[in-house]
Amino acid sequence: MSSNKINVGRVVANPQLCREHYRLTVRLAGFAQAEAGQFVHLSPTADMLTEYREFSTSGSWDGAGWLRTVANPMLRRAFSIAGMRAVGDDVELDVIYRVVGKGTSWLSRLVSGSSLSVLGPLGLPFPIHSTKPHAWMVSGGVGLPPMLWLSEALAKVGKKAIAFCGAQTADLLAVTMSGERSPRADAANATLSAKEFAASGTPVVISTDDGSLGFSGHIGAALTAYHKAQSCDADDLVVYTCGPERMMAFVARFCFDRGIECHVCMERSMACGTGMCQSCVVPVRDDDTDGAWRYRLCCREGPVFSAEDVLWESPAMAK
Amino acid sequence: MNDSAITAAEVDLTVDLAGLALRNPVMTASGTSGYGPEHAELMDLTKLGAFVTKAVSVEPRKGNPPERIVETSAGMLNAIGLANDGLDGFAANKVPFIESMGTPVIVNVVGHSVEEFQTVCRRLDGIECIAGVELNVSCPNVADGLEFGTDPVRLRALVSAVRGCVSRAKLIVKLSPNVTDVTATARAAIEGGADVLSAINTVVGMAINVDTWKPMLANRTGGLSGPAIKPIALNMVHRVYRDVAKDANVPIIGMGGISSWRDAVEFFLAGATAVAVGTALFVEPTTPIRICEGLREYLSKRGMSSVRDLVGKLQ
Ligand SMILES: Cc1cc2nc3c(=O)[nH]c(=O)nc-3n(C[C@H](O)[C@H](O)[C@H](O)COP(=O)(O)OP(=O)(O)OC[C@H]3O[C@@H](n4cnc5c(N)ncnc54)[C@H](O)[C@@H]3O)c2cc1C
Ligand SMILES: Cc1cc2nc3c(=O)[nH]c(=O)nc-3n(C[C@H](O)[C@H](O)[C@H](O)COP(=O)(O)O)c2cc1C
Ligand code: FES
Repeated sequence: MSSNKINVGRVVANPQLCREHYRLTVRLAGFAQAEAGQFVHLSPTADMLTEYREFSTSGSWDGAGWLRTVANPMLRRAFSIAGMRAVGDDVELDVIYRVVGKGTSWLSRLVSGSSLSVLGPLGLPFPIHSTKPHAWMVSGGVGLPPMLWLSEALAKVGKKAIAFCGAQTADLLAVTMSGERSPRADAANATLSAKEFAASGTPVVISTDDGSLGFSGHIGAALTAYHKAQSCDADDLVVYTCGPERMMAFVARFCFDRGIECHVCMERSMACGTGMCQSCVVPVRDDDTDGAWRYRLCCREGPVFSAEDVLWESPAMAK
Repeated sequence: MNDSAITAAEVDLTVDLAGLALRNPVMTASGTSGYGPEHAELMDLTKLGAFVTKAVSVEPRKGNPPERIVETSAGMLNAIGLANDGLDGFAANKVPFIESMGTPVIVNVVGHSVEEFQTVCRRLDGIECIAGVELNVSCPNVADGLEFGTDPVRLRALVSAVRGCVSRAKLIVKLSPNVTDVTATARAAIEGGADVLSAINTVVGMAINVDTWKPMLANRTGGLSGPAIKPIALNMVHRVYRDVAKDANVPIIGMGGISSWRDAVEFFLAGATAVAVGTALFVEPTTPIRICEGLREYLSKRGMSSVRDLVGKLQ
């Protein structure tokens, strides 16, 4: 009855990838099958949990340790699964994160061997089993991690995929470029020079807001330029997007205007991550109810939504 | 400490809440584990003393726009806005699971008028698998815009009006901490006919974004919960017990920042008969099980046979 959704993991590695970005690899004894788009909810409680019996019987454990340690940060933190593989009977899981506050700076201080509590896999994955042969992944900033794993899944089902990766500046791009830099101001050609995507044979189009690498401008503009140059029939294409909400709204509009199927991976502040607290709502179309919309839970009914269901302009978005 | 003859397994955790028998004194707090199914994926709910649902109102409510929560020092603010499916939706979609839960279930009730509270409670009283109703009185009355739970006169009137609609289920009144004198509202609730008191609901608070100069929550203010409010909650439970509930023989469900057996013991000593865990469930969904294990060991080490012997023993 008690599930295997709460696990204690050991840190295998936690290297810095570029300015403010790290890749955490955690090894877990029990972790359910997961798919790209799903996420984990992390908390630094593991030592306290595993040592519970020992301390409580010796009388020195006060039972409050696990929460006292995390009183700041207290709540778990949500991260997309960026990769996952079997290692013997265990599972290794990658998370790529940007340090933006106290929770992510706690993460960045973890060294190999440290333990943490991993709740997951949570949420619904990207749907990948359509008959459409082309799949374009459009990410901005830390919207990139789920795309790394998605690219592997897409390759396995034989899709022709392209990864569009945007960042503010080159040093905030969490992929490693090899060989020549992709040509400036040209979004019409995808290259194979991103190491992380090369494994799945996925070409990339890079953009930076300041033009320090790849196309100069936001990733939506790069997408528009590429689409214009390499036009792909709307009926043959699925777009997946993750990143800042304004960027996803742009991509959603781009796809809607052209009749392209589009799936978005949303972020919301989450307390529980499991559907118990109602904190993580996204307004979506709902033809069955009055007012024709309702809130859906990002953690349980998302984080992946059909782009045309999301009410991008609604005051109920209010992020 | 003397050698105890009582093993942890032999410790008696059962408690009696105004005639409602609980297998242990640890329950969930309303709004922190939905209506059960999601929490059941993470822990065995039959290990709970009781399960308390999210609020139910007459009509469905969408709730507030995001951001609905924000983390603060050792706690969090929430302004969920009592989002729920409404009474009909609850009866159709949530009751079947509740029937199969194998644990006493208490339904949290919210209304914007005395009549709304009555409508919900009357219907719930007729549903056999619901052991109790808990009135969430920390919400404004549309008639005058004032909270039911902050004025003793208004609260007494509400509770006695609801009392007339509830004959089978236990009637629990959840006290608001946002008052000058919690003993006055506690007394009013008992005079109105409450079987049990629960305390405390969240403490009104605010957080501001220094970049945008806007409140962090779309609703501007929210309710503070978690370890940050535990001292406030303990003091209120103690005052209510000492000045009102003890003599009236009305049990108290204590809550506010509980995350360990040690926190729970403090609440029992202050006068609570049972405790509820809220915010801690978000971090560790199995907290109630851990608390029960810790209580058993604590009591056995002290040579105590029953958790009931802790209640109100503050020196
Ligand atoms: C489904 C999902 C997947 C995510 N995947 C990734 C990922 O792969 N890589 C990555 O770097 N980040 C990801 N995020 C965002 C990440 O959760 C936040 O950056 C992180 O919670 C910030 O915590 P903090 O304590 O460092 O920041 P603080 O600003 O100090 O956090 C304060 C509070 O706000 C919440 N919060 C702050 N920013 C966000 C945000 N953008 N989304 C949700 N909650 C937030 C925190 O959880 C915390 O409760 C994801 C979020 C969600 C919901
Ligand atoms: C997200 C959230 C939602 C809540 N919803 C309700 C509710 O619907 N009705 C209610 O009476 N109390 C509600 N509460 C209050 C809790 O039941 C509890 O009284 C309070 O959070 C203090 O306990 P804690 O510190 O253990 O969380 C809610 C609390 C939180 C954090
Ligand atoms: S985070 Fe709690 S319901 Fe989604």
